[in-house]
Amino acid sequence: MKKYLTFLSFFLLTNIVSISAFCQINLISGKVVDGTTQQGISAVSVTIKSASAGTFTDERGNFKIAYTQSLPVTLVISSVGYQSQEIIIANIAAPIIINFKPANSLGQEVVVSATKVATRILESPVSIERVNAAAIRNAPAVSYYDVVSNLKGVDVVTSSLTFKTPTTRGFASSGNTRFTQLVDGMDNQAPGLNFSVGGVIGLTQLDVDNLELLPGASSALYGPGGMNGTLIITSKNPFKYQGLSFEVKEGLMHTDGSEHTPSPYHNWSIRWAKKVSEKFAFKISTELVQAQDWIGIDYRNYKGLAVSGNPSFGTRASDPNYNGINVYGDETHIDLRLGLRGIASAAPFLAPYINTLLASPLNITRTGYKERDILNPNTVNFKLAGAMHYKITPRTEAILEAFWGTGNTVYTGSDRYSLKNLKIGQYKFELNNKNWLLRAYTTQEDAGESFNASATMAFFNEAWKPSGGSNGWVAQYSQAFLNAKLNGASDMDAHTTGRTVADVGRPAEGSAAFKTLFNTVRSIPIYKNGGLFIDKTSLYNVEGQYNLTSAINNIAEVLVGGNYKRYVLNSEGTLFADSDGKIGINEYGGYVQVAKQVFDRLKLTVSGRYDKNQNFKGRFTPRATAVFKLSDNSNLRFSYQTAYRFPSTQQQWIDLQVGGGIRLVGGIPYFNTKYNFATTPTYTYESLQAGTPQLYNAKEFKPETVKSFEAGYKGLLFNGKLLVDLYGYFGQYNDFIYRKVLVQSKTGSPIQQSDTTNGNAFSVPVNSVEKVKTFGYGIGLDYNLVKNYTIGFNFSSDELKDVPTTPGFFSYFNAPKVRINVSLANNGFGYKKLLGFNIVYKYQDSFYYQGDFASGYVPSAQTLDAQFSIKFPKANSIVKFGANNLLNQYYINAIGNSRVGGLYYISFGYNLN
Amino acid sequence: MFRLINLATFSLLIFTSFLIFSCNKNVQQFSDPALSTPPAGLALGETIAARQTDSLYYRLMIKAGILPIINNKAATFTMFVPDNTAMKLFINAISGGAVPLAAPDAVFAGFITANIPVAAAVGIVNYNISGQALPSANIPATFPNLQYPTILNPAPTLSALLRLTTFPSTRNGAWLNNVPFTSVDLMAANGVIHHTAIVVVPPQRYLWDRINTDTTLTYLKAAINRADSGTAAPGTLQGALLNIGANLTVFAPTDAAFKTTLTGAIAKALIGMGVPPPTAVAQATFLASSPAVFNNPALFSVLTAQTVKGIIVYHIFGNRAFTNNFPTITTFYPTLLNGAIPTHPGVGLTAVFGVPFVSSATVKGVGNATAANIIINNSPLTPDPSGTSDQHYLNGVLHKIDQVLLPQ
Repeated sequence: MKKYLTFLSFFLLTNIVSISAFCQINLISGKVVDGTTQQGISAVSVTIKSASAGTFTDERGNFKIAYTQSLPVTLVISSVGYQSQEIIIANIAAPIIINFKPANSLGQEVVVSATKVATRILESPVSIERVNAAAIRNAPAVSYYDVVSNLKGVDVVTSSLTFKTPTTRGFASSGNTRFTQLVDGMDNQAPGLNFSVGGVIGLTQLDVDNLELLPGASSALYGPGGMNGTLIITSKNPFKYQGLSFEVKEGLMHTDGSEHTPSPYHNWSIRWAKKVSEKFAFKISTELVQAQDWIGIDYRNYKGLAVSGNPSFGTRASDPNYNGINVYGDETHIDLRLGLRGIASAAPFLAPYINTLLASPLNITRTGYKERDILNPNTVNFKLAGAMHYKITPRTEAILEAFWGTGNTVYTGSDRYSLKNLKIGQYKFELNNKNWLLRAYTTQEDAGESFNASATMAFFNEAWKPSGGSNGWVAQYSQAFLNAKLNGASDMDAHTTGRTVADVGRPAEGSAAFKTLFNTVRSIPIYKNGGLFIDKTSLYNVEGQYNLTSAINNIAEVLVGGNYKRYVLNSEGTLFADSDGKIGINEYGGYVQVAKQVFDRLKLTVSGRYDKNQNFKGRFTPRATAVFKLSDNSNLRFSYQTAYRFPSTQQQWIDLQVGGGIRLVGGIPYFNTKYNFATTPTYTYESLQAGTPQLYNAKEFKPETVKSFEAGYKGLLFNGKLLVDLYGYFGQYNDFIYRKVLVQSKTGSPIQQSDTTNGNAFSVPVNSVEKVKTFGYGIGLDYNLVKNYTIGFNFSSDELKDVPTTPGFFSYFNAPKVRINVSLANNGFGYKKLLGFNIVYKYQDSFYYQGDFASGYVPSAQTLDAQFSIKFPKANSIVKFGANNLLNQYYINAIGNSRVGGLYYISFGYNLN
Repeated sequence: MFRLINLATFSLLIFTSFLIFSCNKNVQQFSDPALSTPPAGLALGETIAARQTDSLYYRLMIKAGILPIINNKAATFTMFVPDNTAMKLFINAISGGAVPLAAPDAVFAGFITANIPVAAAVGIVNYNISGQALPSANIPATFPNLQYPTILNPAPTLSALLRLTTFPSTRNGAWLNNVPFTSVDLMAANGVIHHTAIVVVPPQRYLWDRINTDTTLTYLKAAINRADSGTAAPGTLQGALLNIGANLTVFAPTDAAFKTTLTGAIAKALIGMGVPPPTAVAQATFLASSPAVFNNPALFSVLTAQTVKGIIVYHIFGNRAFTNNFPTITTFYPTLLNGAIPTHPGVGLTAVFGVPFVSSATVKGVGNATAANIIINNSPLTPDPSGTSDQHYLNGVLHKIDQVLLPQ
């Protein structure tokens, strides 16, 4: 059969291809079309065998390739998802039409990020997941970022519609500093805000070539960090992906009207790439998203401080100390006894009675405002990106690239933050060669008008009516409370009366007075009693890598590299302790990786890196991997890795008063001095709670390390129809970084348990003295059925082992024990195989979420995502009907975040190559 | 094959149904223990209404319009209730005997309806209600008495928090001010009821009003004025005796007591100046013969404002002490003088009880050779202005004594 096909191809080609043997123009032109639809296929690699010349088809499938040899030459045609072909060209007189046939691509993909050397995914020495452009196109996801959540072992924390944070190996959070995201080699973590901005700023939907996910501490090649995983997003090279592409996606949200009236979702993106010559190409892309976001509506009462708290019973009507999770301004806790004592002093005849009320704290909170009243749900996200590529030589390419984005979104960190007019730009210059790489980039961040919800509303309340003072809110509350008590009222009724009186004249939600005051307070920097945080922090990074393999005569594959990184913190005192000026942080590191095929079946890779941060001691971290080939399509992999991460910029230098009366501070010695932790009695919160006050003893704040052992198997079974991927790991964290709450005496005198509400609370990052151990495992099965149907299943689990018993320790290990994804897809069926669909069902079980904003149980959740598409080959277009969370079953994946509901859309895409 | 497809379709339908009907759970919600149901049983007003022996006071409560308040089970009160016997005594007294004690209950009830003004009814009833549950076990036996605010605000325009206070005590029995309880701890759903032997009426006047008008306390009045001379108004003793927020006990030496003490003191001073004793005594008797002695410039060097003030404050407690709560064994308690001399032992109090009232009581100054006698009322519970002991005012209680107390 194979012989017959080859003969037939040759026969057809020799009949339709006419090349003049005497022609002097050394140029071959042709077209690659889909064998079924006859639609031109773009971005197909066309190279001349045994030569360096190569090109890609344009958006219509056309190509031109120059050659210097004499005819005949052999063209090699290849693209993911199609059978590679070699075609002998003996005559160029007539246009060359190449019928390209879809192929089983299961397990055939090539990954780069695991070792920075192109490797078959089956032979990767560490766990890796890859999503190519075609998979993104066919995914039932409104955004490429959502596709990541379908991969096994991935948790996503959804702060809002456009702010989603993926992670692996547990520890999910909005600002996950253990999970690195790189976009075209640039770390897309906002250097000051410490969250990855991939969903907000970065690549546009149409410019994503592929996603490669490395779960776990899988590589020494991407700098310190990425202890739990690395997501590498690569954009489309304009030499390869050319022409104009656009997609208009219109959707509908809030269809049940439970949180918001049904509202539209708009997502428009456009990309234009042009190969001006064989040496120069450029691209520009932009994307605009606008929608009414989901809003946090968890109004449960939150008891306790920060991560140590819990949702509990009680409402504003039943608990005077109510602190709603998605209610802001009610974090201001006041002991009513202050006011009552004042009355007792002024009216001695009431003192004996008042004294009967003072036996224990009478904690109350200021009246707050719901999230829906203060956070504008109107989400706008605008991305603009462009790049110029210049091939200095056929093997050396210079790239000048820029990403810029702005928008409004909501982020959950230590609080809920409205990121309003956030602007982040990333600018890169890169020289890459087959053997070396030189890259320099900068990240420029501007928080715009972003504000902290709790701080804003706390200061809003104070601006409207100060808590203190003889006629302040507390005084009014106290008097009315006492009056009610004197008249026999129950405690709660007296509190209600007190609050009602104290809140007289309170600006009503949405009123003109509310808006005026709110807009004023949110525009005032936090340190001046407002909610605005200014952040114009920058990151500068230079890195290089050299492949010495050929220089040492291929004895082994050897890579060396290094990087220098400089953060410049600039928050004008609103986020960092930089009120006296910008703060610089320097880091540098280097690595070497050696890979050697020891035997036919065994390949070993050893790597290590050394990193140094000016605030921390340097450290060397070794890693080793082994791949044992069972057969051509089956491999066992083993790895031992140590990874290392410096505390984030915030963990080093933050100095921020947040909701709940806590001040977040950095862990470097500067703060021990600034806040007199050694000289003013400062206690651990948990010891005060336990009634055994224990003074805080600051210790050296160290980077965190992890040792991880992992084994896995990846193989193709059943004649290549079933791809199996298994993994299991065990990780042990040393010097695990977590935050500890301290309470410092306000008076300088020792304090007791009952004074905790009157002390100054601090949250400081510290290292756990106990080791934190995690383990997990997963299995992925992908099966190609008949007629293009594919079915996929994956299961994964992550668990924390031997949880440290240190009082006040919180691991923030947020991961369900059970994650299941099931998918059924077909990217070509029906008439001329123009129809496609993809359905993904996801389930995760309940888990306890720990966060600085709020902790609590996250219920189990299931979602169904689906899309149905119709291709229009002549118009090079596709229409897609899709839904994220088709059944509109609201769910959360972190406490305090908005609930995620259904999003239904229809899109029209042109030239989605 | 069809069977296979049908099976697949069926499975898909089951799966889809499962998805649709098994919604994602909402976050864990918590039942709210704070939202309790109202207590069972009769409320205070209903409890009193059900008692035939309290029918007259219930009539007074209706007149005062208090029922909606005390029948609110969400609130908690303690009520001091005079039974019908006490109410009849009260009505007999305020009617000037027009309603004889033997009159039928209906006559008393009619009197309440027709003759007791609403304001008076409100005053009495509200003064006998405290906004807290105070079973007898929780009524302290401490001395001097703790004050408990009632729900009666005599001047709401002055301050919403102003309250007249009462002084329940279980020391030497069980009392409300100087009135014995006849029974305690009648429990209602929203509070407790204690019965009083007589109607406890709210005080109407200030201590100063009594001192200023009592013809047997003219020396005390003059002495207070002398003590206040040169002192700005807010800090004067008179100001304190007129302050509704004050809580005092005044041991008020009668004019006779002052005369005796002053005569002796002046004579002693004159003798010390070389005046022959008979002459000194005669001059002293003359000088001390009227309250003007405190305004006599010739004596200013002896009766300085500070000296007089020191003596006067030695006669005042900064809290309320009814004789029925006095110790039965002499015990010293601090006076306002201790504000200036914290270590001063104060005055010694002693009471001797009859049944159930105090039959005699004394107060001993450190500088006095003998204890001063409190001039006990001729008839127990004689109210202001006719009585001599346990005279209750808005800002304190006054007992007349037969000696000036000397602090040294």
